[in-house]
Amino acid sequence: MKFTDILKSANVNLFRNKMRSFLTILAIFVGSFAIISVNAIHTGVNDFIDQQVESIGGDNYIEIAPTAAYDQLASMMGTGEITKYNANKSSSDATIISEEDLSKIRKIDGVISMNPYYQASVDYITTSHTDKKYNAVISLMPGGGVKADLSAGNQINSNSSDYEILISEDYAKKLGFDTPSDAVNQTATFGVKQSIKCYTVANPDDCIATLDAKIVGVQAPSILSIGGIRVNQAANDAIYNLASEGIAPDIKNRTPMATGEIDSTKLNEIRADLKKLGFTAITIDDEVGMIRTFFNVILIVFTIFGAIALIAAAIGIINTLLMSVQERTREIGLEKALGLSKGKIFLSFSIEAIMLGFWGSALGTAVAMILGFIANNIFHQSGGFLEKFPTFNLVKFTPESVAALILIVMFIAFIAGTMPARKAAKKDPIEALRYE
Amino acid sequence: MEPVIEAKHLSKIYGKGATAFLALSDINLKINHGESVAIVGKSGSGKSTLMHCLALLDTPTSGELKIDGEKASKLKSRKLNRLRNRRFGFVFQQFFMNSNETVLENVLLPLKISGTRRKHRKRLALEAIETVELADKARVKSKNLSGGQKQRVCIARAIVNNPKILFADEPTGNLDSATGEKIIKLLFDLNHDKGVTLIIVTHDEDLAALCDRRIRITDGKIVVDESIKHVTRPAARAINSKTKPANTPEAKKAKKNQKKGVRK
Repeated sequence: MKFTDILKSANVNLFRNKMRSFLTILAIFVGSFAIISVNAIHTGVNDFIDQQVESIGGDNYIEIAPTAAYDQLASMMGTGEITKYNANKSSSDATIISEEDLSKIRKIDGVISMNPYYQASVDYITTSHTDKKYNAVISLMPGGGVKADLSAGNQINSNSSDYEILISEDYAKKLGFDTPSDAVNQTATFGVKQSIKCYTVANPDDCIATLDAKIVGVQAPSILSIGGIRVNQAANDAIYNLASEGIAPDIKNRTPMATGEIDSTKLNEIRADLKKLGFTAITIDDEVGMIRTFFNVILIVFTIFGAIALIAAAIGIINTLLMSVQERTREIGLEKALGLSKGKIFLSFSIEAIMLGFWGSALGTAVAMILGFIANNIFHQSGGFLEKFPTFNLVKFTPESVAALILIVMFIAFIAGTMPARKAAKKDPIEALRYE
Repeated sequence: MEPVIEAKHLSKIYGKGATAFLALSDINLKINHGESVAIVGKSGSGKSTLMHCLALLDTPTSGELKIDGEKASKLKSRKLNRLRNRRFGFVFQQFFMNSNETVLENVLLPLKISGTRRKHRKRLALEAIETVELADKARVKSKNLSGGQKQRVCIARAIVNNPKILFADEPTGNLDSATGEKIIKLLFDLNHDKGVTLIIVTHDEDLAALCDRRIRITDGKIVVDESIKHVTRPAARAINSKTKPANTPEAKKAKKNQKKGVRK
């Protein structure tokens, strides 16, 4: 028997009992659909993270906090150990990075710079292009090669002593600029509340100082980089100093965190050295890694669900084919009597199983792709949560993953089909022909 | 000339130990090319088992079987399949056809199995269908045929690969006598016109009487192996012996042959 004939007869047999084949295919469809869909979302999200991480850069950026801070966190959660009191390193001091600590850290080989991180905040932002003031949240734009995704202007210079800031497209519009590029090189004014002074003045407005900074760039929308307003080290420190004017330096300069620039090729050694000093380092990769881990867990969970569905479907294939073998006992007997070899009977049933797998997974993938396409379109429409990310497809299918899934499912189907196929091949022609 | 089938001390035992059942016991026979042989016997006598062994569908427990001088036990399964496919034809009492397929599709099954080219295969099948006079039914689904037509389709399927030996297991068992006669005529025509060796398993003594030779089986043993001397052509006899009064054109022709003592 020619291969094309075997293929054809397998196909004919498949559609002989349409409802039964359809239900078997449906079971495979469900499993395939679940796996390929979650895989596509995972690919989409990961691609987006990659894209964002690449735009952020920041291989050399590092954040440092005392390891004791993590221990205290663990203690709060009830998992840490209770340690003995030591006057030199009390609980309250343990989580603080002192100037002394910083100078030690700066001496570590590979550390280029290290600055205490001060949480600065402003009351409002405004420009000469508008008479309105807007609430604003600022965040430090770290050095170490971290880049923002810009739609206009330039990156911030972290080492500059000039006050430089980045604003978002939304802020640019509110602050009176028609296009993002109009905002570049313009001056923004922050209002900074001086807490100590506020105790002495009657009018709250009188204790608000102002500080001018240069808008060097406008940030494109992004989910990873913090939106709003980003300031360089000089601006951040200036705002912090302005806000905490009148507070004793000992209190003012307490900080639980430092940020800096390192030679990323020495990251492991730096980590080890920091550990000895009692500090824990976090890089951009670590942070992104946490996000990735989250999505990986989702992927694994859904893939397991899909795999369970596929196992059930494989049992369905076995069941369907066993019934088919039983029904076609005579036909198999006749074919064997007429000289059809065992191998070809086995092949015929195996192909039938593989076809079930193929149709199930191909339909599952096709439907997933259609729904994914529709979903992407809906998310990109105005009002959709991806409106501002035209290049980001939440659901993204790669030819490799589609091909791999279909092939794997076909293989599973083949394995499931071997048992009934062997049963068919082993049928004794006389017994089969006697069978009523 | 070498016998097409030769069996020496053939035995077949089903089961083992106390429950063992001797289906065939020390069968010795030679079947020559072009012979028509009837294997007769009661139900359970072992006649079907003998046919299955001769047709290589079953393997004997002991003894030796030669097909065209070749030992069957030495044949590899691939060669065995080829032998059955190319040299044997099978006609069964219960027809065994795929009722959802057309006559043509059923008839070309052996050619499909042998891997004959599509075009060639269709031509041969149509020729075989023509031989059994069902040319107008070639595209009809088998389930829409009458019993006699179904058996003719089976004969067409059995002869499509131009076999040397045709095995027929109760070919008229499921048919009324008039239809049965047509089938018998077809089989003997093949025997005479094409020289196909005919091995018919039957318990119909009338059918057995039409063959050149009758082998009677009782309890797995050959009890009678006799040649039957005929003056007339079996196909004609078949018509003659059953159709009374003989007024059909075929019967008239047969009578004429009988008078002349014609035998092809």
